[in-house]
This record gives sequence, structure tokens and C-alpha cells, in this order.
Amino acid sequence: MRNTYLWLLQLITGILIAVLLGVHMVLMHLDAILGFFGVDATKITSWESMIERSNQGIWAGLYIALLAVVLYHALNGLRNVILELTPSVRTERVVTRVIVAFGIVTFVFCSYVPIALLSA
Amino acid sequence: MDKNNLITFKVQRYDPEHDRIPHFQEFMVPSGKCLTVLEGLLYIKENLDSSLAFRASCRMAICGSCGILINNYPNLACHTQIEEFHSDTLTVKPLPNLPIIKDLVVDLIPFFNTHKSIKPYILRQDAEEMEKPTAEYAQPPRALETLLQFTHCIKCGICISACPTSASDRLFLGPQALSQCYRYCTDNRDEGEKERFPMVDTDHGVWHCHLAGACSEACPKGVDPALAIQLLKRRLVSRAVALGKKQQPSSTVPSPAETKPKLPFPGFTVK
Ligand code: SF4
Ligand code: FES
Repeated sequence: MRNTYLWLLQLITGILIAVLLGVHMVLMHLDAILGFFGVDATKITSWESMIERSNQGIWAGLYIALLAVVLYHALNGLRNVILELTPSVRTERVVTRVIVAFGIVTFVFCSYVPIALLSA
Repeated sequence: MDKNNLITFKVQRYDPEHDRIPHFQEFMVPSGKCLTVLEGLLYIKENLDSSLAFRASCRMAICGSCGILINNYPNLACHTQIEEFHSDTLTVKPLPNLPIIKDLVVDLIPFFNTHKSIKPYILRQDAEEMEKPTAEYAQPPRALETLLQFTHCIKCGICISACPTSASDRLFLGPQALSQCYRYCTDNRDEGEKERFPMVDTDHGVWHCHLAGACSEACPKGVDPALAIQLLKRRLVSRAVALGKKQQPSSTVPSPAETKPKLPFPGFTVK
């Protein structure tokens, strides 16, 4: 059932991206929605406000979670596309390993930023 | 056939022993009412060029041998009327996504092997009953209805030739095998899910279907393989997350104690 679980995860990460990216978009780019709820958007995007949020574990967690789900969703999708064009089990193994390694390195490298900002 | 009403058959020819690449050859075929593409091909074979290779047998959309590409649309030659196209030229090619043996004949062996790989027969735990049956396994009409349309598959390979995933992924199991996997897994007499699921839950299995639906549109027998694939996906997910109730395989039913008397054999009408 390995492929069924991989596909289910693809579905779940898709929904999570919509939610987490939605939060990010509303907060950083969609001033009108924030204004509707009576929040001053200029304050939220200011440097002080950003540093204040970066010190909170919940925001760091949110961005690390967004990074993880985007990486899984994008790289699993890319792997599926490449596997469709590589009719050899050996090539498939290489493709899977390269993609998994790329995903892990990118995750470690990029999640360093919100973790470092926690103590900024 | 109406000798005055001629139609041009542009037929793709390819003999691997002599040709490097396929080429087209034109034949003028007398056309008439209710003439099928297969009859046109038979006319060419009998009157114009006996070396033309194509497959056919039943001439009534039952055997599945005469699948070809007619005016770039895959169909059974015996099931397609020439008149349908309202054109005086017909382009005839072998089915795509399958290796060509000669002219319009494609190699169906890999296709049949894929079909066999999903074990298209009833699998049961009660091996003794399977070996030496004492009675029939019960199947209520409602259980039959859930799979009936998928039993109409004649293994013609037309869905494979219409499928865009089969075109790009040579290892893709294809709509025919996947729909037959669902057909047997959903059969209330069957217990073979555990043996079949590993065959379809692969990198080139059920999850690679793009849901283009071309297979269902092309199938000449009205089977809906795209639907079967979606239902198979649902079945796999419900097993993976342990949701949905798993039916017990049906038990045997004793033969009826009384059977209707046989009808008398009719007398000979010709003495
Ligand atoms: S599903 Fe339809 S098109 Fe495909 S092999 Fe069966 S009869 Fe032919
Ligand atoms: S000849 Fe049998 S299906 Fe056409």
C-alpha cells in the first residue's frame, strides 16, 4: 500500500498548503481582508512586527510546517512526472534517491531561518 | 457494393522485414449502404492487394481482434460503418501505444500478459471447494449489477490505444487491466484483494491514471474503465485507512431441490 499512502499524503499536503499559504497570504499580502477584520496591515508588515512574530514558536512552527508540506507536495508530484517518463527500475531508484536527498537538504537549510529568528 | 460510389482507403503499410518506417498506400474501394470498414479491408485483401495484413474474426464486435485507428479514432473495424464519416477518404492505421507486427496488426501479447498479471479470475481461500466444487457461490442480482458492465470487456486494446498515460508511460498497467482488477475485487464471490492490490499499487499502477477519461469514451462495448479505476482507488484508500466495511465472500448455495421440466425438443421443420 506504499503508493496509496504516498497519494493520500499528496492529498493531505494539498489541503494543508491551501490553509497555511492562506494564512500567510492574508497576513502579508491581502490588506483588504485584514482591514475587513479591523487590523492595521501596515503595522503587521513592519520590521518590528515581523521580529516580534519571529520570536514566537507558533509562527516558526507554521512556516516550518508550510515548508515541509510544500516540499513534499512539489517533489512527490515531480517524482511522479519523471517516473512516467523513465521506463526502467534502476533509473527510477536514482530519481527517487536524488529527490529525497534534495528534499531533506532543502528542508534543513530553509528551516534554519525561522529557527535562527526565534532568538533574534 | 456500389461500383460507382468509390471511397479512398489510405492504409498505413509497414513490413518490418522490408520497410524502415511506415508509409501510406491508397486503395479505391466501392462503397455502399451499411458497409463496414472491415468489409472495405476485406475487399482490398480479396481484390486489390492480398499482402495487406489485418486481424478479424467474428465480424460482430465480440472477439475484439479488429481494433484499428480509423480517421485517427480507435474503434473496431467491424463495428464502424464507412457512411458514419461522411467523407470519401478514410485513413486507416494500426492501434497506437502497441508495437506493430505488420501493417494493421499490433502485438497484443504484452497487453494480454498485463491482463493476466492482475489474476482475472475468482480467488478464494476455500481451495478444496474451488478444486472440487460441490455447489455454486451465491451472487444476488444487486451484487452482479455492481460489476456487470465491466464483464463486457472483450480485450480489444482500444482503451489502451486511446489512453494518454499509456502513450507516455510504457510500463503503465493501462485502463483494461485496472478495470478488470476492480471487476474481480468487487465480486462478492472473490477474496483476492490481497493478491491483486500489490500488482496495482505500484509506481506504474492505479495512481498514475490522469483521469483523462479517453478510455471510457473510446470503448466500443460501453465499458467505463475510468469509473472502475476511480472505484479501485477508493477501495485501496479504504483498505489503507481501515475504513469502510469489508464484505465476507459469499458462501455456496445448494442446487435447487426441484428444477423446471425441460422443454420438449422441437420437431424438424425440414423433412
Ligand atoms: S475496456 Fe473496452 S476498450 Fe478496453 S479492452 Fe475492454 S472492451 Fe476494449
Ligand atoms: S472481428 Fe471480432 S470484434 Fe471485430
